[in-house]
Amino acid sequence: MIRFEKVVKTYAGQVAPALDQVSVDVEKGEFVFLVGTSGSGKSTFLRLVLREYRPTAGRVYVAGKEINRLASWKVPRMRRQIGTVFQDFRLLNNKTVNENVAFALQVIGRSRTEIRRLVPETLELVGLEGKGDRLPDELSGGEQQRVAIARAFVNRPQILIADEPTGNLDPSTSVGIMKLLDRINRTGTTVLMATHDAGIVDQMRKRVIELDHGRVVRDQAQGVYGFQH
Amino acid sequence: MQLRYVFSELRQSLRRNLSMHIAVILTLFVSLTLVGFGLLIHEQSDKARDQWGSELQITAFLCKARDDNPSCTGEVTDAQKQAIAKVVDESPEVADYHFETKEEAFEKVKELLGPEKFEGPNPAATADDMPESIWITLKDPDQYQGITSAVIGLDGVSSVRDQRDVVGPILKSMRLMQILSAVIAVVLVVAALLLVANTIRLAVFARRREIGIMRLVGASSLYIRLPFLLEAIVTAAISVLLVGGTLAAVMQFGLEDRLRESVGFIPWIDWSAFWYAAVRIAIIAPVLTLVPTLLVSRKSLRT
Repeated sequence: MIRFEKVVKTYAGQVAPALDQVSVDVEKGEFVFLVGTSGSGKSTFLRLVLREYRPTAGRVYVAGKEINRLASWKVPRMRRQIGTVFQDFRLLNNKTVNENVAFALQVIGRSRTEIRRLVPETLELVGLEGKGDRLPDELSGGEQQRVAIARAFVNRPQILIADEPTGNLDPSTSVGIMKLLDRINRTGTTVLMATHDAGIVDQMRKRVIELDHGRVVRDQAQGVYGFQH
Repeated sequence: MQLRYVFSELRQSLRRNLSMHIAVILTLFVSLTLVGFGLLIHEQSDKARDQWGSELQITAFLCKARDDNPSCTGEVTDAQKQAIAKVVDESPEVADYHFETKEEAFEKVKELLGPEKFEGPNPAATADDMPESIWITLKDPDQYQGITSAVIGLDGVSSVRDQRDVVGPILKSMRLMQILSAVIAVVLVVAALLLVANTIRLAVFARRREIGIMRLVGASSLYIRLPFLLEAIVTAAISVLLVGGTLAAVMQFGLEDRLRESVGFIPWIDWSAFWYAAVRIAIIAPVLTLVPTLLVSRKSLRT
């Protein structure tokens, strides 16, 4: 589903590469944690998957396509197969929960009937039934992140990318979010999650890829956050 | 494609950035009005040139049957005309020349004074009252003395009109007005371009969250840019309407109601000149707003 082949990414004006000869293969339906200190290259990794950047060298495949060869105008269509969630939720504060989720479908031209079916269905999935008419400010942090996940998942993407989704949340709320991501993963969606949260990684016992100074230093099938020899 | 979002965004953005949009519209309005005046003046000087010839021309009117000039003994003869043509032809100052018949002269007078005066049982003049003439184009407007004195003494020539006396001052002042309006228009057009670019930059900034999400969920770049492009078209359309209204008012109240009555000797432009200017402005205005919009939005919305 996601394959990196000897990917190097060096930012303009910098000598040390942000990613250095990274080769990773993520299968369809996997749940993968991406761990590492700040500046280890996690964000660069995620942005390469989203094709916000092109690699300096090497190849990136997403859903069977080599995306660095993809023409710019085809990028939006490719991104419709990827849902993305961030630490800071990035909701539109002047829109209700329903509108926020519907927005993701509207702007890619889905029909009103589809929107009317998919939005409540997805809100129910993330556990926000009955809260569709609230504004984001009226919700707790955990609920706001659920809205963000609903928005990322409403188009039923093949891949869900989560960049520190629990970074702003307390531990008990984080557990709820992780359960939700796990449930989404069970529907067959590949989940790629960058995190600092050791507790969560240890609990979930999923595949862990650790980056350090742009290199993959560990790739463990059922890992924990800290390095185990 | 769902355009409901696009239109609600457009409405919102026009309201949110109202003062900037008004600034853009006013700048476009003033600059394009000047462009419009420039075009009308251009048409007017073309028209004047058709009537009188350019500054490069002198006109020799030939004798007619009952001529005011006592040296004319009667209607100019073909032999005399050939002699005149020969002199003109051999003059080194002359670039080109042509004869104008009585009928052509009559048509011009009719157009200038209105055809109704020349119809019916008692016309003000007939084609026979018009003199034949020869229109001589000079290579250099200052080298006129030689040919003028050569032609004036020939048999069959009644009088010589130097166009520089008639058309010169009119064309000169028109040219001055044209240059002046062009210079001011260029300055204002530059200001308008920068204002449009700034407005779009502000609008992109105000919507950066929405735009970020749209890009993330895979909205096409056209869809993201559509509200901005529509904004550009709306401001251009409003400006064009204002300019068209102003030019039309000038045509009606200034030209039709006043100048045409009081200054009859000049062949004034008509509404076709207005449409000539209006169509050009309707093309220029959206270009002026769309080009900076496309450039700025491409730069700040790159995927």
